Amino acid sequence: MRRLVSVNPQSLAEAVDRLHTEGASASAVGGGSDLLGMLKDDLVTPDVLVNLRAIEGDEGLAAIESVAVDTTEDAEVRIGGLVTLTQLSLHPIVVDRYPVLAEAAKSAATPQIRNVGTVAGNICQRPWCWYFRQKFPCYKHGGNRCFSRVGENQFNAILGGGPSFIVHPSDTAPALVALDARFRVVGPDGERTVAAADFFTLPRADLARENVLEVGEVLVGITLPPAAARRSTYAKVLDREAWTHAVVSVAAVLTMDGDRVRTARVVLGGVAPIPWSVPRVDDLLRGQYMTAALANEAGRLAVDGAQPLSKNAYKVTLTKNLVRRTLLSLSAQH
Amino acid sequence: MNRRAFLKSSAAATAAVSVSHERAVATGQPRGPDGGGPRTSITLTVNGAARTLEVEDRWTLVEVLRDHLDLTGTKVGCDRGECGACTVHLDGVPVYACSQLAVWAHGRGVTTVEGLSDGDQLDPLQEAFVAGDGPQCGFCTSGQLMSAKALLNAHPDPTEQDVREGMVGNICRCSNYNRYVAAVMSRAPMRATRGDLPRLDTVGEAEPRVDARERVSGRATYTGDVKFTNMLHARVLRSPYPHARVTRVDTRRALALPGVHAVLTRDNCETRWGSGDSRNPRYLFNDPVRFVGDPVAAVAANDRHTAEEALRLIDVDYDPLDFVLDQEAALDPRSVEIQPGGNLSPRRDGERAPERYQRGEIDTGFAAADVIVEETYVSKHHSNAQMEPRVAVARWVADELTLWTPTQGIANCRADLARDLDLHPEQVRVICEYMGGGFGNKNQCQDADLIAALLARDTQRPVKLELTRKDDFLGVHGRWPTTQHYKVGASRDGTLQAIQLRGYSGMGPHRKSSGGISGVELFRCPNVQSEVSPVYTNMAVAANFRGPSYPQGVWGIESVMDQLAHDLSIDPVDFHLRNVTREYLDETPYSSWALPECIVEGAQHFDWPSRWQRAGTRTGRRRRGVGMAMGMFAARLGRSSAVLRFEQGRLWLHIGVTDIGTGAKTAMAQLAAEAMGMPLSDVTVVWGDTDRCPYSVGESGSRTTTHTGQAIVEAAADLKRQIIAANGLLAGRTFISQATPAPVTEGVVRYASAAHFVEVEVDVDLGDIRVARYVAMHESGRIINPLTAESQVKGGVTMGIGMALHEELVYDRATGIPVNPGYYGAKVMTHLDAPEIEVRFIEPNDPFGPYGAKNVGEPPVIPVVAAIGNAFFNATGRRIRELPMTRDRVIEVLA
Repeated sequence: MRRLVSVNPQSLAEAVDRLHTEGASASAVGGGSDLLGMLKDDLVTPDVLVNLRAIEGDEGLAAIESVAVDTTEDAEVRIGGLVTLTQLSLHPIVVDRYPVLAEAAKSAATPQIRNVGTVAGNICQRPWCWYFRQKFPCYKHGGNRCFSRVGENQFNAILGGGPSFIVHPSDTAPALVALDARFRVVGPDGERTVAAADFFTLPRADLARENVLEVGEVLVGITLPPAAARRSTYAKVLDREAWTHAVVSVAAVLTMDGDRVRTARVVLGGVAPIPWSVPRVDDLLRGQYMTAALANEAGRLAVDGAQPLSKNAYKVTLTKNLVRRTLLSLSAQH
Repeated sequence: MNRRAFLKSSAAATAAVSVSHERAVATGQPRGPDGGGPRTSITLTVNGAARTLEVEDRWTLVEVLRDHLDLTGTKVGCDRGECGACTVHLDGVPVYACSQLAVWAHGRGVTTVEGLSDGDQLDPLQEAFVAGDGPQCGFCTSGQLMSAKALLNAHPDPTEQDVREGMVGNICRCSNYNRYVAAVMSRAPMRATRGDLPRLDTVGEAEPRVDARERVSGRATYTGDVKFTNMLHARVLRSPYPHARVTRVDTRRALALPGVHAVLTRDNCETRWGSGDSRNPRYLFNDPVRFVGDPVAAVAANDRHTAEEALRLIDVDYDPLDFVLDQEAALDPRSVEIQPGGNLSPRRDGERAPERYQRGEIDTGFAAADVIVEETYVSKHHSNAQMEPRVAVARWVADELTLWTPTQGIANCRADLARDLDLHPEQVRVICEYMGGGFGNKNQCQDADLIAALLARDTQRPVKLELTRKDDFLGVHGRWPTTQHYKVGASRDGTLQAIQLRGYSGMGPHRKSSGGISGVELFRCPNVQSEVSPVYTNMAVAANFRGPSYPQGVWGIESVMDQLAHDLSIDPVDFHLRNVTREYLDETPYSSWALPECIVEGAQHFDWPSRWQRAGTRTGRRRRGVGMAMGMFAARLGRSSAVLRFEQGRLWLHIGVTDIGTGAKTAMAQLAAEAMGMPLSDVTVVWGDTDRCPYSVGESGSRTTTHTGQAIVEAAADLKRQIIAANGLLAGRTFISQATPAPVTEGVVRYASAAHFVEVEVDVDLGDIRVARYVAMHESGRIINPLTAESQVKGGVTMGIGMALHEELVYDRATGIPVNPGYYGAKVMTHLDAPEIEVRFIEPNDPFGPYGAKNVGEPPVIPVVAAIGNAFFNATGRRIRELPMTRDRVIEVLA
């Protein structure tokens, strides 16, 4: 690895200040797994690592807490950005009330990575497109083309792609979008809240980055709206049984009136450069009885308008089938 | 004088060599006093003891543990958090030590494998691993233990699913997953069913490996664990182009970097790597470079980070040439010529023609056929991906070289080194105490060995050259990709009439192996014609990987036969029994042959009749299907040596093995104990050192048991005679015997064989193929150690499943650059992917070999891909003719 210095900020303010001052020469570190891999491969070259885990104090960065409004059912849940994927996957509040998030966290990587990997780091993860990771001079490395477009694009985008065709690699991201989470961001200009669905950027809006974080900003927390009567699940297709990013995934959140769907929120992973919401599917399902035919139609609608590349047309079929299957099994849960 | 000459003439051999401290590179990065990076003093508790040390901020936890705290039990398999070999506990929780900086562990507690045992007292889990045959090569074992220990701390009574999930972050390439799981669950290891040869005393017993305690305790010294205080670290710069002339290599900036001691390029190093290519000269640094990963330069520096920085300072000008990746396309006259004389690699006799075989009259055969099937099968470059990356440590004393290297054959390695370095073999000592797998890519000597030796000679310092995991995927070799065109015909009753194969094997730009496509010989057929062309391409070099020419060839021929059986409406088991070879190439008897019995017994045990139905008749979203395939592998006799020494009631067995995970040391010790009539506990194996061990053929081609085992048996016979002749006067005497038999079989050939049966479940919506049941029937003559032999079979089958379903070195066709070199990209099988595998041995009586043993190392991987492909066809009525059978291919073929 290149020379670097790792600094331990005493507070969030100090971390933000250091990141802002160093600019592109610094990188925030959560668990460190993905960052170290990128450092070793020279994909990023910061001189300074700002070790967020060193922040002591009561800033809630590593906590999961339920903040009741009137009753438990009306409680929001706040999750600190440094909560690990393991903690997220095991915490009773998350497991009981937001299973889609617990399942998504549990599906990521391996126990060793989940034990240190933070939810903020998972959300802000850089792409795993082969070409990006092998340092081809593509758009995301400051070049002027996307190599996957006419290359080995088996795992690239079928929706929302262009000029770059990466897919967003995070499992927790689609779950959080489907839960209508809000992200708390702290930066040199203060604090702001961004809806999860607005946090991620398409390549056609910004080629250089995958989310709206500006230099010096840190994702410090996630707020989940009350779970109410929502049921949810995360279905992930992987090419071996573990330790792989989603080929395609579905985060589904439903509220039911008996056998009738009251509300639906379906978000796809592995198909687009951002977690991919499909509002037409949500609209289709609202107020309807879940039948095989409806689930089938939802699947078809989810991929309507997909533009597969030369080697990833199978993702269209796969997504369609996964959406259908997930909706049927989730709606049948008791 | 130039810098290198200065270094050579300088008497000072310490790190304080006086060099210019010019800031050769203005990186804007903070630089420490000796040229290193910024440092921090940290205190951490390691295995209960507080340790304070000053570390560079950039040092990972694993390199601090291994290099600065002398805890080498934790291994580095990939340095990317993709394999799990470096798993330690951080505050009781398993993490990848390669993916944490040491400075982040300040104030925290670290537990390594060394912390599990207490002196010689192993932790109960380690004992369970020993008894349950947990370690094969042992390189992943420390990490497996740490994950399992954490799991058991949290779940003292786990289910099998809990165990697999808890350990899924630990790859085992020997694929010994089922053994690990059983050990963690305190289940006795499964016992393969056996044949009914008369029982012996030690041979045939399920003995734990004689070195299992070393492998589970972290005490086993692998090459990467060897270090010297004044040792330098080396790194290799590799070509980013698949084919290019190297017009300029400028090393001045690298040489000027503080901490760099030597740089080798083709300008100052013309050493030839003899075993790197048997047809054309292959140098350590070639021009043109002919594959992505071809070495261009090598650097020796104070530490690995400085060596890596030096690589960045070497300026290379390349003039890219056309390149060709496909083995068939490379024979097109318009394709660029990769080696002089053309891309068809010549035969051993120099003739530039394919390897041809023929019997009978092929056209007559097709004329006699009622049904003909004509199909093409394409297999891919498949990386060995052994857990231990290539590494070499070289040290000269005067003009004598000692090389530590993870080789499969110390004698061959030494001979190669001596030849390539122009030394007498007596000047070279090769040591390999433990090595972490190779599966065929650690034979002979490697370019890494030579580069380390040359850097060590130039700098007069010991040098350790470590390949990164990516270097290993690109720069060593993998299984050759093939294009196989088959045409086969049979008469209505299912009798084969004609088999024709026209095949192409992509060897990369260098010819290291046969490039054959084997499997046709599994069938009895009067008319056969085979033509196989080994071809040069600009892909990574391809050479031996477990079973070399068989897994891909058997997949091709067994798929075509399965199709033929289907077209004839004949049950595949019946088709196989009708057409299985009963004499080699229909002309030479086998010394022993139980393949037909394997088929019959396997089908019976697998319950084939009730599971099988005609292909394509299943319905539903999850469809089951069954398939079978055969395999065979030569168990030749040949020359090796053994020296036996008996003194003070103890037998010392000097054999030139390294035990690559096969359990060779244990099997050889059992043979010696049996032949001497002594208990196994009175036998000590002396291995892995050319100064102490005689010639062994090396653990390749599954020959150690036959070759070295035979030498042991004969040497033992002589030793017994000597001892008997001593008439009881044994005290104070040393008895020594040696044998170097070179037996031949006359009029017969020796092959081990197997028949595998698999049931898969295909999810037609999602494109999943899952192995639901697997029965592996093997006949390998007498089984010397059923515990380790069964582990071999389970491991080989699991490896084969990975080859069938996931693994391929994928190339970007436009640039000729591989896009997925590494464990994550290769998608090797994990704990959750490995199914339970039932192993059954038939033990025919073979008149040759030590106690009639044949071999069991390579056969297990041979039928797997074919069996799975046939089961997929059975489940769906569709056939995938390009490997691997990935989700996209499944969905496309089912559409």
